[in-house]
Amino acid sequence: MRRRRGRGAKGALAALSLVTGLVVVSAAPAAQAQEEVTLKVALTQEIDHLNPFLAIFQSSTGVGRVAYDYLTRYSAKDQEPVPGLATDWKTSKDGLTWTFTIRDNAKWSDGKPLTAEDIAYTYNLIRHNETAATANGSFVESFDKVTAPDKNTLVIKTRTPQATILALDIPIVPKHVWSKLSKVDDPKMDEPPLVSSGPFTITDYQPRQYVRLKANKNYWGGAPKIDRLDFVHYDNEDAAVSALESGEVDLVNRLAPAQYDALQDNDDVTLNKAQGRRFNELLMNPGAATKDGEAIGDGHPALRAVRVRQAIAKAINPQVLVDRVMSGYAELGSSVIPPVFEDYHWKPSAQQRWKFDKRKANQELDAAGYQRGADGVRRMPGNGRPLEFRLLGHKGRTFDEQSARYIVEWLGEVGIKVTQEMVEENQVDEKGTAGEYDLAFSGWGVNPDPDYILGLHRCAARPNAQGQGGTTDSFFCDQQYDRLYARQLAEKDESKRQEIVKKMQQRLYEQAPMVVLDYDNALEAYRSDKFEAFTVQPQPTGVIMEQNGNWGYYQAQPAAGGGEGGLPAGGWVAIGAVVVVAAAGGGLALRKRGKSVEDRE
Amino acid sequence: MTPTTDETRGVRAITWARRKQATAGVWREFARDRGGLIGLGGLVLIVLLALLAPVLTDETALEVTNTTAQPRQPPSAQAWLGTDRDGISVLLLVWWGARVSLLIGFSAALLSVFIGTAVGILAAHFGGWLSTTLMRFTDFFLVLPTLVLAIALSAVLPRGIGTIVLAIGVASWPTTARLARAQTLTIEARPYIERAKALGAGHRHVIGKHVLPAVLPLVFAHTTLVVANSIIAESTLSFLGVGDPSRPSWGGILQAAFNSGAVSQGAWWYLLPPGIGIVIVVLCFTLCGRALETVLNPRLRGQR
Repeated sequence: MRRRRGRGAKGALAALSLVTGLVVVSAAPAAQAQEEVTLKVALTQEIDHLNPFLAIFQSSTGVGRVAYDYLTRYSAKDQEPVPGLATDWKTSKDGLTWTFTIRDNAKWSDGKPLTAEDIAYTYNLIRHNETAATANGSFVESFDKVTAPDKNTLVIKTRTPQATILALDIPIVPKHVWSKLSKVDDPKMDEPPLVSSGPFTITDYQPRQYVRLKANKNYWGGAPKIDRLDFVHYDNEDAAVSALESGEVDLVNRLAPAQYDALQDNDDVTLNKAQGRRFNELLMNPGAATKDGEAIGDGHPALRAVRVRQAIAKAINPQVLVDRVMSGYAELGSSVIPPVFEDYHWKPSAQQRWKFDKRKANQELDAAGYQRGADGVRRMPGNGRPLEFRLLGHKGRTFDEQSARYIVEWLGEVGIKVTQEMVEENQVDEKGTAGEYDLAFSGWGVNPDPDYILGLHRCAARPNAQGQGGTTDSFFCDQQYDRLYARQLAEKDESKRQEIVKKMQQRLYEQAPMVVLDYDNALEAYRSDKFEAFTVQPQPTGVIMEQNGNWGYYQAQPAAGGGEGGLPAGGWVAIGAVVVVAAAGGGLALRKRGKSVEDRE
Repeated sequence: MTPTTDETRGVRAITWARRKQATAGVWREFARDRGGLIGLGGLVLIVLLALLAPVLTDETALEVTNTTAQPRQPPSAQAWLGTDRDGISVLLLVWWGARVSLLIGFSAALLSVFIGTAVGILAAHFGGWLSTTLMRFTDFFLVLPTLVLAIALSAVLPRGIGTIVLAIGVASWPTTARLARAQTLTIEARPYIERAKALGAGHRHVIGKHVLPAVLPLVFAHTTLVVANSIIAESTLSFLGVGDPSRPSWGGILQAAFNSGAVSQGAWWYLLPPGIGIVIVVLCFTLCGRALETVLNPRLRGQR
């Protein structure tokens, strides 16, 4: 009821603003014809850096993807590597030397040509400069030598075969600009104008307000069909949604289920429910330790036992989280590679999957000697320490906060007492790295190449005693898993590699250092009255924003005859007349529409 | 210690009779203020409802794993105020949330008034360097932004109701201290204190028998106002996400509503009830407090 009334008011307002707009437009009819088309995108995450060597946030790397070029790109269709700056490549027999042919029609935004020399410079800078390695250092770890024998040839030699060489997410920077800087984190490189070679060039940046980009008309892939691309900052998702409704922005993502549902009635807005590349997981501290095997943190000793972790996996029901917390806008989790990467995704068979079964979980814990105390909480055999776990999560993150209550109640039923510990994001990271948790919510965005996400669970990925030198997800350390990891990295046959990758996921699932709860759908919405359908990646179920590429923005097209196009003055008068009539009969029409909605309900 | 002779018994009876009379007088004066009566009535009703929540409602209906209702549904016959993001009835949440909000409000106010009264009376009674030190200490807390201090405290301490109470209590006592000090100073300037001192009364006697009874009524009136502020502070802290996540409080419900996109959805049934709850309780406390203040502080009475 209430929502409908709200819509009525909004409709009237929209009509009013159209009429006002008409007055303004007819006052300046000449300027209409050449009006530039701007795609305005809402961001709710801050920009950490524009400097491509330091940018880590999804928002910043997203801007980098439209401003810079990469050696290769991922196709919009299925995220396979396709030519980027490199038009062609070949590898030596031992798989250690890669030779790339670099296109000669690529130009920097200051007019200078982009050559293989620039690419070699970028990679070598990351290899030899610690600051430059901040964001993308992992990609060049096994590089031995990068050279540019001539301006169209790039040669990369690696120490070990590297399956990820066609998936280097490293923005290429101009040598003639960067080689003049004394340090990589020069603040100048966070201030536009920045020299880049991508389909758009950054022209303006106000922290916490906007990043403005201009189309690169000389782009080697052809000029974009829009003139400008603005990323506008909003403090929260609700503000972004109302900006979309009022037409202030054209594209919004990271919608909550409630917001997505609320936008369903809006005729000017088209929704995109995409298979996301993120997963949410529940970590169970399997005994955090450093690279050298020295125990760190204060994880509960009971979780070191595989049987306890497996019992927990049976005591929780991720399907309920998918249905109720995510309102169905997610897929049931299994392991660390989301189903959007279908070649590598592993799905447990009906027998393999942990079945939600409180009785069985209870029986297994009983059998393992974890008897309940007088208060109903189980005790460890031997030292009698109660099974009381802390559950670490991000304060203010809806998934963590909502799911935490389910986890607490489910585990309560099998005699495990869980206390929530919802803290700030940096505290979650700190405690996570230090191993100071029992259970913890975490999650990762996954790249098309599975190497990175699989690497997070190796023994060698664990940090050193200072908490540095590695990024582990789960503190998992398993010889069998590590052997499989080395095999997949060296495997040149694609289908064999897929087999190994799936085996690794199965091992993770069975050893249960974590339970992957769900794969979130990416919920996006755009103004379809102003823009044609966007190119999604992968097709047809993929995302518009947060792609592994820039297809969504680069191939954006203004809607035919849309409000942003140059309508002649006569057209505006006609529209104006229609609007006035519509505004007069508006109340009636709205009431009618309200009724039909009611009928449907 | 005092020998219970007939004489002292008689004195006590007289004291009690006098106290009874004074209380009746206060009540008569209070009852004349219609706003105060309404506030008191509302408070009694709300506190009773909050206390009886476990009897009148089923606590297991607050468990997310037991709920089968659809999340974020508008009001219906099953859920009079709709459902929240987990499918739990908003009415039930607000009802149980009142317990947490009131508990924290009262406890934090008590803590704050206790610290404030102690500091204020001691500073005024002893004077000298102790007074200077205590009052500079008070000034320091007075200029600290309450909310920031409370957020900082609850970020450092483990999360839970105790932490919130401590954070609000520690951050909000300076006004009480100022009030108690001013009242103590006026009391101690009166001749009967001097007489008591001349008769050999020590610090404990003067503070316990003369100053405290004279300061307490005013502090009590002030407390009702502090409770209102504490409830608002609790809601603010919970809304900012530093509350106890395992129990529903009004601020926590509002935070959950905002985080789950209730504004975009136009889910008024999710946003309004906790907000109205806060407004009503705070209004009741303020009405009561103002009425009490007027009764106990004759200087305010003329202004009516």
